[in-house]
Amino acid sequence: MTIRFAAPDSGTAPLTWGQRAIWEAVERTAPDDHYFNFGRVLKVPGRRSVTDVTTALTALVERHGALRTRLTDPPGQRLEATGRLTAEITTGDPGKVLAELAATRFDYHAEWPLRVALVVDGDVVTHVVLVFCHLAADGLGAEVALRDLRTLLLRGRVPGPAAPRPLDLAAWQAGAEGRQVAGAAAAHWEREHALMPATMFAAVSGDPADPPIRRALLRSPALHLAVRAIALAHRASTSTVLLAATATLAGRFSGSDRCAMLPIVGNRFRRDTLGIVSTLSQEGLFTLDVDGPFTGVLRAAAPAAMRAYRSAYHDPADRARIVRDESARRGTPVHPNCCFNDLRFADPGPAACTPADLDAALPETALEWQMSQDKLNCRFCVHVSAHGVSLTADTRHLSGADIERYLLGLEDLLVEAARR
Amino acid sequence: MIRERLAALVAESSDGAISAHEALTATVPLTALGLTSIGQLRLADAIETEFGVTVDLTGDGLDLLDDLDRLAGHLAGR
Repeated sequence: MTIRFAAPDSGTAPLTWGQRAIWEAVERTAPDDHYFNFGRVLKVPGRRSVTDVTTALTALVERHGALRTRLTDPPGQRLEATGRLTAEITTGDPGKVLAELAATRFDYHAEWPLRVALVVDGDVVTHVVLVFCHLAADGLGAEVALRDLRTLLLRGRVPGPAAPRPLDLAAWQAGAEGRQVAGAAAAHWEREHALMPATMFAAVSGDPADPPIRRALLRSPALHLAVRAIALAHRASTSTVLLAATATLAGRFSGSDRCAMLPIVGNRFRRDTLGIVSTLSQEGLFTLDVDGPFTGVLRAAAPAAMRAYRSAYHDPADRARIVRDESARRGTPVHPNCCFNDLRFADPGPAACTPADLDAALPETALEWQMSQDKLNCRFCVHVSAHGVSLTADTRHLSGADIERYLLGLEDLLVEAARR
Repeated sequence: MIRERLAALVAESSDGAISAHEALTATVPLTALGLTSIGQLRLADAIETEFGVTVDLTGDGLDLLDDLDRLAGHLAGR
């Protein structure tokens, strides 16, 4: 099935900050950059035919410039008005179809940044599977696309103004207001760089796996309860509690009293970025003194996290200059090599729990090894999702046994803090 | 006027979780009313864009974002 789109607008622009940041990560991870592909499954409302769904998909791609934008050489962006997208029609399991579509890297210059499959049952489309190139969307951008696709299927049009485009964002970022925001963020990166350890997890583990990158997922209802209880007791978000605990333990495993960590931040705080399908997520810089009791660390973590979240909306060129200068000053590469990504779309919020609740939940904890690969642009990546907390690490710096010890240690730290 | 405008920005930044009326009549900090850290970041960005100021996210700056009256006083006294 072919989706033919014809929109009125086209043009070229430099990459936005978010596009440039993800492009740098893609380049450092290639050829394993399918790592960044991700997808969504939309359960189609009502009874819709292949033609109905194709019409809605056409309108979706015409509405969102991000889905018609590809990479130019040298790196920049080109928005095209017209094109053709091929959609696979299948009767397979939507989850499996998604995994297959996401398994190979995108051709960033030649391929449209969206792969589509329609899952059918007879004449009716039951699910639409969308796989996104990370250069075109991040998790929240994909949610915007999904919401609009659903609206298009139900009503035939999306009410309200035209969707913001990456081209417009690039122009704003290059203008006076964008430069002012970038300047404030750069001041934070500069200040923190002067004080932070050159890197985390510098020591070699002596026990590398083959391939060296491994991921383990901890499913722990007890950890989940503990985080919400701590959030209640300390008036913090669950995300900040997890960031503080992740940083505290990263400091301990890395033998450093001060932890430097890069939280991935959605950067959808401004009116012009809320409804855009594009990659806005970028790394912020979070530093924290992590010696001393966890409750004290947590108190300092909340304002530090806010400053870090704000520093995420930055110009990667400014950051590159700051990193280069600080590395030259110290005579060693300065980079945290340590990141934190809370992928949840909503904070579950604070909630009380008793020690008995924690005791009852602890036996349900399970740890599962999920993937391994050759290359990653980081040494230590914690992901928080609805499934649990995962750690993807370079076993040349943190062995498989330590990955397991780290995740169980994180649960222990949080559960013990929640008991107090 | 500034207070009313700030209350409208609080409502927008919290996606309506806190109404402008609630913000105006609050006797507790805005975070205690349910303004999340994401809401605070959106509020800081909105204030910067609209009033042409820089919101400092130190402990003091965050306290200011939590208190509509102090915030209004701060912006009026620029």
